Amino acid sequence: MSNSVIRGTGYILVHVPGMVMDHGTTQTTEKIVNPDSDYLKEIGSHMRSYEQVVNYAPNQTYIGNMSIEDLTALGQPWYEEGKAVQGTRYGKFGEIMPEAEFILLMQVCDAFDLVRLDKDFVAAHKAELAADPVITEHIMSMVKDGVDQDDIMHFVNEEHAESITYEGKLVGYVKRAHDVDANLSAHVMFENLVAKASGVLAILHMLRESGIDASEVEYVIDCCEEACGDMNQRGGGNFAKAEAEIAGLVNATGSDARGFCAGPAHAMVEAAALVKSGAYKNVVVVGGGCTAKLGMNGKDHVKKGLPVLEDCLGGFAILVSENDGVNPEINLEVLGRHTVGTSSSPQAVIQALVYDPVQAAGMKITDIDKFSPELQNPDILKPAGAGDVTEANNKMIAALGVKLGMIPKPEMINFMKQHGLTGYAPTQGHIPSGVPYLGFARESILAGKTKNAMIIGKGSLFLGRMTNLFDGVSFLVQKNTGKEEAAVGGAAKVWTIGIAAEGTELGEENLKQAVALAAKKGVKAVIMEGGHAEMEAKLASGEIDGAVAAHYPFPIGVSTVGRVVTPAYGKEMFIANTTGTSDTDRVAAMVKNTVAGIIAAKACGIEHPTVGIANVDGARQTEIALKKLSEGGYKINFTESSRADGGAVMRGNDLLKGTPDVMVMDSLTGNLMMKMFGAYTTGGSYEANGFGYGPGLGEGFNSLVLIVSRASGAPVIANACAYAAELLNSGWSKLAAKEYAAANKAGLAEIVEGIKASNVKAAPAAGAAKVTAPAKEPVPAAILGVEVTDIEDAVTALWAEGIYAESGMGCTGPVVMISNANEEKAKEILKAKGFIG
Amino acid sequence: MDLENQKRVLEFAEQYGKENVVVLLGAAEGEAAGLAAETVTLGDPTFAGPLAGVSLGLAVYHVVEPEVKAEFDADVYDEQCGMMEMVLDVDDICNEMKAIRDQL
Repeated sequence: MSNSVIRGTGYILVHVPGMVMDHGTTQTTEKIVNPDSDYLKEIGSHMRSYEQVVNYAPNQTYIGNMSIEDLTALGQPWYEEGKAVQGTRYGKFGEIMPEAEFILLMQVCDAFDLVRLDKDFVAAHKAELAADPVITEHIMSMVKDGVDQDDIMHFVNEEHAESITYEGKLVGYVKRAHDVDANLSAHVMFENLVAKASGVLAILHMLRESGIDASEVEYVIDCCEEACGDMNQRGGGNFAKAEAEIAGLVNATGSDARGFCAGPAHAMVEAAALVKSGAYKNVVVVGGGCTAKLGMNGKDHVKKGLPVLEDCLGGFAILVSENDGVNPEINLEVLGRHTVGTSSSPQAVIQALVYDPVQAAGMKITDIDKFSPELQNPDILKPAGAGDVTEANNKMIAALGVKLGMIPKPEMINFMKQHGLTGYAPTQGHIPSGVPYLGFARESILAGKTKNAMIIGKGSLFLGRMTNLFDGVSFLVQKNTGKEEAAVGGAAKVWTIGIAAEGTELGEENLKQAVALAAKKGVKAVIMEGGHAEMEAKLASGEIDGAVAAHYPFPIGVSTVGRVVTPAYGKEMFIANTTGTSDTDRVAAMVKNTVAGIIAAKACGIEHPTVGIANVDGARQTEIALKKLSEGGYKINFTESSRADGGAVMRGNDLLKGTPDVMVMDSLTGNLMMKMFGAYTTGGSYEANGFGYGPGLGEGFNSLVLIVSRASGAPVIANACAYAAELLNSGWSKLAAKEYAAANKAGLAEIVEGIKASNVKAAPAAGAAKVTAPAKEPVPAAILGVEVTDIEDAVTALWAEGIYAESGMGCTGPVVMISNANEEKAKEILKAKGFIG
Repeated sequence: MDLENQKRVLEFAEQYGKENVVVLLGAAEGEAAGLAAETVTLGDPTFAGPLAGVSLGLAVYHVVEPEVKAEFDADVYDEQCGMMEMVLDVDDICNEMKAIRDQL
């Protein structure tokens, strides 16, 4: 099913100096606690005029008139007089509405006759509101003529109404909606009507910008931070539908989603899921502004001689629609989540929200063009001692990349510059949280300047006193891939594979034959005359989709999975592994090889590949570790040897028969096998059979390079190209990331660590009693599965428990020989002590 | 330091005794760390909260200070704080914290 797209955005600000004074909690608290304070005396002289607010660079950026790049280049702080820009009220994303017009819009949004305005005030400003291009006649028809000052004085003084002031004058009120219900008090109704009206204004601009007909919107999700309801259902809702009604979205319903500052990101993921699932075609995510946060850092601003910068309400609306093949998509395969089990440390948060989703999708951190975390305007927060929040986020993402070895340390600053953004959004809680960038991201992706952006929302849940947990979600917006998706359904894509066979022993002609053979298999092979350097450059640029190389140096941790045709029945088998080193510890490497082998087999269409372990040194330990991994939740489909004794450890016969789909072994043995399987029909110097040594696989390694040898003949090289194409068709890197994530969840890392730790054998404690053998008895039964190096320890362990045992070598490996009577008990003891699985 | 936190610090100091309480800060920059440290030692410099005019003189450290770091298991510290050590201006924070402690 196609991803949803971002079809339009609306971003609005409302300059409300009157509300800063009367409704910002910093000011209202001060009025109660310290009514004669210097702050209250001084704040009036620190308020900005509407013109100053319009000419303030971050505000022009928020409504889309000034690019983030230009804002950054202007240099902070932006409140300095010399930094004022020639701003305009309207921008491509929205507008900066003056307070008087907004007060009229609040009255329009009031369905219960709670807002009453002075009739002269209405008369003076009605035409101004009507002139706003997004304000419809229907909206204007709801503007009431107003009341006398006497009525206003009465309700404000006698009836607990919340006053509405404009330029210091009382011009109206919001009255309480219930005499005793605190949830319907005048104060709450005021806040809720402000949230609703600013949300409506954002929707109206989104409709204009996207060009969608209002009647096409089917669902609205409101994600502001207010709650509406009465004393019996305090957060009953529903802002979304109330806003849809005023904005004329006649065919919509909706609901409210909350998550503090992370609310918008949650709502976006929900909207994208609703559209992708086919439930609705057009969903609007909307968030209106918040009066309580106005002037929140006013004390610091006044103390430092700055204007009160939190003098605007913010609002936004995003239209999420079914895929039109053009607009940027929301990729639901790249979703970050801070879960209940995630620590609240900044490191764990960034890991969960940024690195986990990127790695799970098989991407590199540098594959993400832009990160959009909290975009709070630093002008506002730096003077308050909170620093530059956006930059701190950029830094955290880069620093964790350095720690994880994904970004070289000297590149850290450069990474921040290239992939980070500058904050510019008003500090209205949910408003700055990732989503302000969606307007610019949509433009930039449509213009081909940016290929993708990760939007990150974070929320401080402890403020609600329900949990101390932190929260956050993230999602990826990317260039529309609609056409490519269509191609998958139609003709198969022709992949381009580079062949870099420097030092081949079989000559140039052999390579040309390989190219011709690959073409017959539907793969476009290209010889890399420039060798590895050319291959790496073209892989990076995307000019080739994968490569087949001789002698490519993989990092430790990456190793290749070969693919052969076994002679007994002509069955294909994956040899895991054949070159490279999955781990410096032999057994740990074989465990990791198993995961790599399963990935390769699955990518080639084997849904539940069977696994066997070649009977080489370390096989039994590997078997025990793999069973642990399987029991931990990474299900491994062990096969049985074709020999009479069965078991998951494979004999030579099984190699020839291709008993398992994936044959696990160390890569030195694997390499030997590849040459045997490749060249046994030709006399040795020409590898004619199979698919070569296979792709380099390892956690986090996302470059598709398959190995052949200098003795690989044209058929093997061509088959390697076809093997590469199969991997590409399967979306191998995502598949690999998913498998590694599943194996890690099942304890892969701990199991590998355990193997390494157990290989460092503890010296026997000094003075430990020497164990002597119990009375000798006949030992006809045999216990298989003990590692050859541990066989004497296993026997001693049984002696210590009073059981007579002898060691021996069976045809499949070492055995512990035991009496029939003691067999079961001995197995239990050996299992408990970790000798057998 | 927010008023609720001041109240809790005061309660802890009364409940367990000043000598038994260590305040561990995680503030993102020197100035904010210094203000918080001042609040729990000399008293709330903003005179807004329960610690206004109350000099508790508590032991106070920021989590990135070497004295504190030494108390942690190195792996746990790296896992929880390693990234933020790279992000924060550790020297500035340490200087601010030391300046406050030196006033005691």
